[in-house]
Amino acid sequence: MTRTHSKTKRTAFIVAAGLAAVTTLAACSSSSDGGGGGGDGGSGPVTISYGVWDDTQGKVMQQIADKFHEAHPDITVKVQITPWDQYWTKLQTAATGGAAPDVFWMNESNFATYASGGVLANLSDKLDGSEIDMSNYIDIQTEAYTFDGSVYGIPKDIDSIGLWYNKALFAAAGIAEPTGDWTWDDMVAAAQKLTDPSKGQYGIVAQSAPQQSYYSTIPQTGGQVISDDKKSSGYDTPEAIKGVQVWVDLVNKYNVSPTLQQMTDTDADTWFTSGKAAMIFEGSWAAAEFKEIPYAAENANVAPMPKLDQPGGVSNGLGNVMSAKSEQPEAAWEFLQYLGSKEAETAQADAGIVMPAYKGTTDSWVKAFPEFNLQVFVDALENSTQYPSSMNSAAWQDPIELEFNKAWGGELTAEQAAANAAKIMNDALAAEK
Amino acid sequence: MSKRISATNAIGPKRSHLIIHLVLIVGSMLMVFPFFWEVSTSLKTYAESISVPPAIFPSSPVWKNYADVFLTLPFGAQFLNTVIMTVARTVGQVFFCSAAGYAFARLEFPGRNVIFIAFLSVLMVPSQLFLLSQFQLMQRFDLLNTVTALALPGIFSAFGTFLLRQFFMQLPADLDAAARLDGCNPFQVWWKVMLPLAKNGMLALGILTAIWSWNDLLWPLVVNNDPEKMTLSAGLSTLQGQFLTNFPVLMAGSFLASIPMIILFVVFQKNMLEGIASSGIKG
Amino acid sequence: MTSQLVPPVEQGQRRSMPLPRPGTKRRSLRHGDRYWAYLLIVPTAIGLTVFSIWPALQTFYFSFTKWGTFGGHEWTGFDNYTQVVHDPELLRSLWNTVIFSVMTLLGIPLSIGLAALLNTKGLRWVSVYRAVYFLPVVTMPAAIALVWKLIYNGDTGILNQFLAVFGIDGPHWLSDPATAIYAVGIVSIWSSLGYNMVLFIAGMQSIPGEFYEAASIDGAGTWRQFFGITMPLLTPTTFFVTVITVINALQAFDLVYLMVGKASPAIEESQTVVYLFYAKGILQGDGGYAAAIAFALLALILLITALQFRAQKRWVHYE
Repeated sequence: MTRTHSKTKRTAFIVAAGLAAVTTLAACSSSSDGGGGGGDGGSGPVTISYGVWDDTQGKVMQQIADKFHEAHPDITVKVQITPWDQYWTKLQTAATGGAAPDVFWMNESNFATYASGGVLANLSDKLDGSEIDMSNYIDIQTEAYTFDGSVYGIPKDIDSIGLWYNKALFAAAGIAEPTGDWTWDDMVAAAQKLTDPSKGQYGIVAQSAPQQSYYSTIPQTGGQVISDDKKSSGYDTPEAIKGVQVWVDLVNKYNVSPTLQQMTDTDADTWFTSGKAAMIFEGSWAAAEFKEIPYAAENANVAPMPKLDQPGGVSNGLGNVMSAKSEQPEAAWEFLQYLGSKEAETAQADAGIVMPAYKGTTDSWVKAFPEFNLQVFVDALENSTQYPSSMNSAAWQDPIELEFNKAWGGELTAEQAAANAAKIMNDALAAEK
Repeated sequence: MSKRISATNAIGPKRSHLIIHLVLIVGSMLMVFPFFWEVSTSLKTYAESISVPPAIFPSSPVWKNYADVFLTLPFGAQFLNTVIMTVARTVGQVFFCSAAGYAFARLEFPGRNVIFIAFLSVLMVPSQLFLLSQFQLMQRFDLLNTVTALALPGIFSAFGTFLLRQFFMQLPADLDAAARLDGCNPFQVWWKVMLPLAKNGMLALGILTAIWSWNDLLWPLVVNNDPEKMTLSAGLSTLQGQFLTNFPVLMAGSFLASIPMIILFVVFQKNMLEGIASSGIKG
Repeated sequence: MTSQLVPPVEQGQRRSMPLPRPGTKRRSLRHGDRYWAYLLIVPTAIGLTVFSIWPALQTFYFSFTKWGTFGGHEWTGFDNYTQVVHDPELLRSLWNTVIFSVMTLLGIPLSIGLAALLNTKGLRWVSVYRAVYFLPVVTMPAAIALVWKLIYNGDTGILNQFLAVFGIDGPHWLSDPATAIYAVGIVSIWSSLGYNMVLFIAGMQSIPGEFYEAASIDGAGTWRQFFGITMPLLTPTTFFVTVITVINALQAFDLVYLMVGKASPAIEESQTVVYLFYAKGILQGDGGYAAAIAFALLALILLITALQFRAQKRWVHYE
């Protein structure tokens, strides 16, 4: 009886161990299957993924994708919206595992990193004989998405910055609305008249986000954020420092803006859309957002940025790119071409979400929200410089923003912060190979 | 029998009780206020939620905010993910840990001490030490952005093993012996005899695991970036830091996410508190 | 789970198997036991090996490497650890973590006091109070953080508006570098009060009533009894709660991540070590450095826990 007992026990043990081993082996082997997305190369229906981060735009993207599907019934495009905060971490992880979406959004800050890292498919070879003609797109955007002489992205949109203002607050204070002739001093004067601490109202919300602040003003004071050859920082010049100083003064000298802490507790756009601040430097993309908030839709309008020393500004723009490791490269390329077509780009304008990067398509965007003077943004494009970026922008972008935040908070002068910023950037650029 | 400090003094019992109640009530208000504020704000309009002076109560409740939660987040999917993860972890831990706990408590086998020390070392280490590597494991097994990945590492617990080992060790040894004499093998002893007796311990572990799972943030945040595959914790955390924060909807979402655990707590209050108390009592 | 609770370490007690009675049956049954034991242990053992032990070893390896942006890593020796020691950001985060831990420790006397109140003989509505104080413990930290963010808002939050009634101009609690970590600490106390309270109530109830009866007969009043009997006999529980609270506080992440966030001017003065670990390892993809940070944290936890265990001989009374 003892023998039978131990035999049973032994069998049970071996069976259990065997099960465990088999399960582990199965798990291990499944990893060699690689990423998702089944289906063969071209024949038969395939599904490709399109990674984006914006909710509002995402719906329009889906409409564009559906239109594409009508023309190419065997390709289904699945739009994946990931919130901005998670987008880049997720993308980096996915790219590391070779599982990036087939087609996805790219921005100028990260473009060089991804292109040089081999994540993006080189599009130059595919361009010949395709429907894409790169000269159709606004030049600075085409430049932005070219790396090492090859094209890696199809420009999707372009933006610019304008001075949004609150008509009701201006009227209540008896001040004339901003015009294209306004100088920076005009703006400061108006802001001072519009600031009323007893009501918790400020003339302008001077947010410290780079594009809406010093990136926009440094070109107007004759400076540069980064040198043309991308090898050194332009922050430590008097011109650039002035471009930062004008903002710091708004907060700490003229006291016409909420403090950085106030803008952290309540974000800048909310200050404007809740009627607590009369002006804000914001982008062309804000039109669609402001339209959705009743108070802002009624009371907001936009004027050109007030003049400093010379015309200038900054533009950023997204690009559509393709994964180098896509399992459906032909389908992805088909979709990419469609995204770059005049039809798809104009669809974005019609929906009012962004200004397309396709030359000559901005009219319908301007007409999308007649209550806002959107022509301002189109005009601003004439003097726009490219968004500052380098091979590894991530190494200096956030740290520099933290430095300038200290100037906003009054801990450092603009000059000191700029000096620190220059050092951070130069160190980072030197480390790039 | 519970032993309590006598509160009698020269003045009389009722008077001192009154003072105690007063203190406790003030404290309770501090405890409850944020919940009240959460619910109240969830029913305000956006303008009311940022008004100065504050609106303590909404002028007329905006129930739509609760519907809007489902527009802002894939709430249903995230809720389901959280439930699945919690249930998987709880059930997994209760069974696996009671099995291992019993083995450590009652059975002799070669290597018992070595394995025990290995488990012990896991306990001493902060969980962040495992995180990056666990993440890569999920990546390698192609489990990123899946519900499986959410639950998997948390199904195994050194702590749970210890907790239940404690409970098993407190049970009389004669029960084992009797069952063995009846011809049961250790597995049957565990399954048929020990488990029913260790109910309290298993309940305690189950409750602790459920609470921890439901509220877990770091791991779900790291392993799943897809909103559809996130848990409620991670999903809610993505809502802060958006450009235009819709506070009332945010509060509605927070409240909805907290309700299940609160209901569970109210229903199982006694068990929960006993379980937690017993996890802390030392011999 | 390891991040939440640590079980009480035994004081050298271990039950052994009953002495073997003479007889072949017993012996061979015990001999065969091993297979069953392995069977019972196998799931947890495999799980812990795959998900805990192996990762810990791998993370140790990672701490000597530098990660590439899209995968791959190269050996860099002790670079990460050197950086750990010299990095002002990390040292500051250690300091922040210490402040945070001290604050949460302040919650312990509060919970002892609460437990004592709730333990009063003949008090009514005890279970209601218990439930109320325990509510924050079962609530999702994400929800807690969001509501407290609203309350703490410098311009529209109810806290500052309340203070304004008394003429106090409240700061921007969560964006002011000087106050942020303390504001978060308060929320941490608030949310763990009930949990500690329950543990202390249990501890108090395990004190034999005879002590109190004897003291009453001797004429000792409530306060005397509390400090003379309750507190000393409560020390094992107090020790347990303190050890757990410190270990958890040293690993604080959730509240700082949710309430302060990386864009805040207060982040450098609030980020805890685990937050920095997350920022470096996940957000910036610097896995090697993050691994080194994790081991630095381990060293800190072991050190402090060891110190606490040594100190217990001085103040903890075991019966």
